[in-house]
Amino acid sequence: MTSRQMKLGVFLWATGHHIAAWRHPKAHVTAGIDIDHYIQLARTAEAAKFDMVFCEDAAGLREANVGIASQTSRSIGFEPISLLSALAVQTSRIGLVSTASTSYNEPYGLARTFLSLDHLSGGRAGWNLVTSASPIEAANFGSTGLKPHADRYERAREFAEVVAKLWGEKLGATGHDGQSFSVRDSLDLPRSPQGAPVMVQAGASDVGRDLAARTADVVFTAAQTFEEAKAFYDDLKGRMAAYGREPDDIKIMPGVAPVVAETEAEAHEKHEELQELIPDDVGVALLSSYLSISDLWRYPIDGPLPELPPSEGMKSRQALVIEQSRRDNLSIRQLARHFAGARGHWRIVGTAAQIADEMQARFEGGAADGFNVMPSYFPGELEAFATLVVPELQRRGLFRTEYDGRTLRDHLGLKRPV
Amino acid sequence: MDNGATMHLAVSLLPGIADASPDPEFTSLTRFVQKAEAAGLDMVLLADSAPASGSDGANKQMPFEATTLLAALAMVTNRIGLVAAASTVAHQPYNLARRFASLDIISHGRVGWNATVAQAPREAANFSRPEGFSGDDFRRRADEYIGIVQGLWRGWDADALLFDQSGGCFHDPEKMHLLDHKGEFFSVRGPLNVARSPQDTPVLVLSDLSVSDLDIAARTADVILLDGGPRDGAKARYDDFRRRVALCGRDPDAVKVLINVSPFTDGTATIADGMEREFLAKSCDGFNIQMPARPSALDDLVDLVLPALRRRGLFRESYRGVTLRSHLGLAGGGGQ
Repeated sequence: MTSRQMKLGVFLWATGHHIAAWRHPKAHVTAGIDIDHYIQLARTAEAAKFDMVFCEDAAGLREANVGIASQTSRSIGFEPISLLSALAVQTSRIGLVSTASTSYNEPYGLARTFLSLDHLSGGRAGWNLVTSASPIEAANFGSTGLKPHADRYERAREFAEVVAKLWGEKLGATGHDGQSFSVRDSLDLPRSPQGAPVMVQAGASDVGRDLAARTADVVFTAAQTFEEAKAFYDDLKGRMAAYGREPDDIKIMPGVAPVVAETEAEAHEKHEELQELIPDDVGVALLSSYLSISDLWRYPIDGPLPELPPSEGMKSRQALVIEQSRRDNLSIRQLARHFAGARGHWRIVGTAAQIADEMQARFEGGAADGFNVMPSYFPGELEAFATLVVPELQRRGLFRTEYDGRTLRDHLGLKRPV
Repeated sequence: MDNGATMHLAVSLLPGIADASPDPEFTSLTRFVQKAEAAGLDMVLLADSAPASGSDGANKQMPFEATTLLAALAMVTNRIGLVAAASTVAHQPYNLARRFASLDIISHGRVGWNATVAQAPREAANFSRPEGFSGDDFRRRADEYIGIVQGLWRGWDADALLFDQSGGCFHDPEKMHLLDHKGEFFSVRGPLNVARSPQDTPVLVLSDLSVSDLDIAARTADVILLDGGPRDGAKARYDDFRRRVALCGRDPDAVKVLINVSPFTDGTATIADGMEREFLAKSCDGFNIQMPARPSALDDLVDLVLPALRRRGLFRESYRGVTLRSHLGLAGGGGQ
């Protein structure tokens, strides 16, 4: 008998998730132009039996201020679908999940591209649906600016419906003719080796949760505390019955940003070393972008976060940051530094046993089905997690020691769609 | 030693025809492209076989979209150029420019985009444009689109990345350029979030050109593919095209003209003779041989035609450089 085991993804991000990762002497500073770096990361993750590697994406710069942008490594990198198609050939078991926007693609093209990745990888592809909240991206796709949150989600709902039909060959003779999209033909590619690529979502707003409850196989989320994670987990699973789905049809995988070392002191030392590398203006700019406001720099850096109006950007993320600043009574500088490291995700600094304890508590406490691991810098922190934390989870019977199946759906224990 | 007069040779995989062998399609395609690479061909062109682009569906379909296939093939080859068709209807220009820029870094500078300014029947109907475009609109739109893509490919200077870890300066902000394009069909600010290509810019290959498209091609293309016409017209057509290129202020040699050749059905000696005659008459820079994607389809070309061409000093013995531009004898990117 096997007990329930956690699902683990590696969230790939150039030099690392920490904003100053690229400055770390052990980070691979040319990650954004070095395919071999990514091949190595994918192989490390596969050797550790991770369910998947995951690529976030934005079709544009991440920072509007060029001076700030030039102090981070985030302005250049690989486009993820081409990256994962290359990695498909260099790996044989691990899942390959990429973000792509419903606002700046058409469902026919996107469904076809991911299905092709699925064929290249023998059924290991997944699509992370985002609606793209950045005005910088919007400016690369027309002159009308960022669409309101509700409009983006309405388009996303129809988009996901059309993609599911195209993957499931259920388009019908008349095709699809809807509010945002019309599609006449079924796809010209054979059916997916895993039934359909895996559908991932990350939006945590009310409308985002409903869309996920209806269509997602996996949900990524950011949650700092156990209570937040548990509340999100229960809420999302509770919404599924309305769409005729079982709670286990979605795997909820919060982000976790671990900093692991042999001793707790060493782990904290490693973490501090990274925090020291964050320039104040970069930390504040990053925080501003998550809060969807542009003038945070006007406020005293050692003072509290000002009152903020609701934004059209990432609603759920904004609420999370504000709540944390009030709870821990953090100054803008402290919040910026804290936030820069894990970008609002859950950070654990400690030994393998301490990290495993915390993950186990959320997993067994009904707050997570698994985790999306966000190493602070690559390749070092992924290797540390793979050699220290993964064996600890395996010893506890919480994580697989070998792949059982071949497809991403197999790894995640997801049903094949009919 | 090779002289400057070497011809350029490409093979195109005919759309929609996969190998009928029991091997997995990717294995078979890998063997095909590796064989073409061992033979020293300049590039392989991958069609994109959406039903929308005109295939009749009677053949077994390749289960891959061309840009994703290209990325995978880049992992199993290291010298040959890889060119994928991608439609201006199926992709937004920013996304397409970015995909190819990324592919070019993945392949270390061996990538090209095969674009067309002709509208594929049915395609627009799958991309929420059931009414399609008028022929003239489509041409103007494609022209604008190509300009955006090539402009985005130049958004980062080759020496923009500094990687200065201790100084905290990742790139030089002066060497990153906004596109700020506002046109009839598109508005794109840029820049790409992908670094400059190892070969300056990906190669632009234009095909399915009508006479009215030739000025767009002369202004923007690195390679054009033309159907073989009557023999005496080919020379005049080539000279006319080179004049158009010069009128755009470009070196006439900056665009290579390849003539499409159908799968070999005549005797191979006749084929080699015909290629030699056209090339020496200066009515083209080389040939694009269309064939089904099974490795055996390359046999006659590799075993008979290439040795004959090499004996006559018409085709180089091996690759001279590592990028597709170097295979094609091209300097930096076309246009401007």
